[in-house]
Amino acid sequence: MCVDDELLSTYLDGELDEPWRTQVAEHLQYCQACRLRLGQLEALHEKLQSVALTEGEMEGSRERVMAFFEATKFPAVDTKLSFWRRKFELKLGPALLSAAAFVVVVIGTFVFFSPNTPQGQEILPGVVAPIDSEHIRQVTDVAKPDLGMFSLEQIIQHLDALGYSVKIEVKAVTPLE
Amino acid sequence: MEVQSNDERSFRLVYEEVFPILMRVVYHVTGNVDLSEEICQEAFIRFFDKQMSFPTLNDAKYWLIRVSKNLAINHVKRKSREMSMVEKLKKAPTPHANTTDGEKVLMEKETRRLVQEAIEELPEKFRMVIVLKEYSDMDYKQIAQVLNISESNVKVRVYRARKMLESILGQE
Repeated sequence: MCVDDELLSTYLDGELDEPWRTQVAEHLQYCQACRLRLGQLEALHEKLQSVALTEGEMEGSRERVMAFFEATKFPAVDTKLSFWRRKFELKLGPALLSAAAFVVVVIGTFVFFSPNTPQGQEILPGVVAPIDSEHIRQVTDVAKPDLGMFSLEQIIQHLDALGYSVKIEVKAVTPLE
Repeated sequence: MEVQSNDERSFRLVYEEVFPILMRVVYHVTGNVDLSEEICQEAFIRFFDKQMSFPTLNDAKYWLIRVSKNLAINHVKRKSREMSMVEKLKKAPTPHANTTDGEKVLMEKETRRLVQEAIEELPEKFRMVIVLKEYSDMDYKQIAQVLNISESNVKVRVYRARKMLESILGQE
């Protein structure tokens, strides 16, 4: 009894389980009709294989599609990352800048208005030292220019030019007449 | 090895392994190289954009074959009536174009045309099974997984597809 056609097809594909595979192989050794039929199925398989796209025929497609991904998808991932990084910088930047500015202003204020610095003495001498006989000297005795050399108007103009907001308050012990 | 579809390194590995298989399978469904390239690109775009994770490279391969197979069948259904045979021939690849043996080239082209036409004549459920069997390097079990049918069903369909192809090609 010859092998079923479907079994031969499965045998050709190497998908026939034991013990049928061995039985079919043994049968093919002495049955010319089944060998012929298997040969026909093999011929069809070879014909189908012969028209398969070759590596060379699809090389262009493979390169074009990969080039598409390299141009659009792979850089997109990097752009996305750098976008987040940039966004992160934007968020941190003003905060750091504000903090730095605050530190500079505070330190600058201490340096600028420190009572022991020359600048402090120059701008606000009245605050630096109490006005008493020890601290009052003749203008002519002072070689270095100090606040006494300038009129109130000049001092105010000078401070105004430096950008200070100057507020003057006049208090009289006795009512003015 | 786990495969993350939108990871460039994983993607390249899958691409190198699966692209030729997809091209062969899709080509033998559509009969058109340019269209096959377009469909394969679309399948890989979906693969990348969906940002999926696959336990193995084979799982990624099955997914890609399933998607490209569906894209190819849908396209063929939609466009089959619009494409004339002349256009198909025009777009068919020219194998071994550098050979000087013109007659051999013509015969190969003719064989390719006849086989392709025979495959296209098969009903869809037989066409897909025989195309996957012949051009995807997958066994019955893997084909069953891709098509979501039983292994014995694959076996029967492969055999019947062969019988039909023999019949069609025998009539040529």
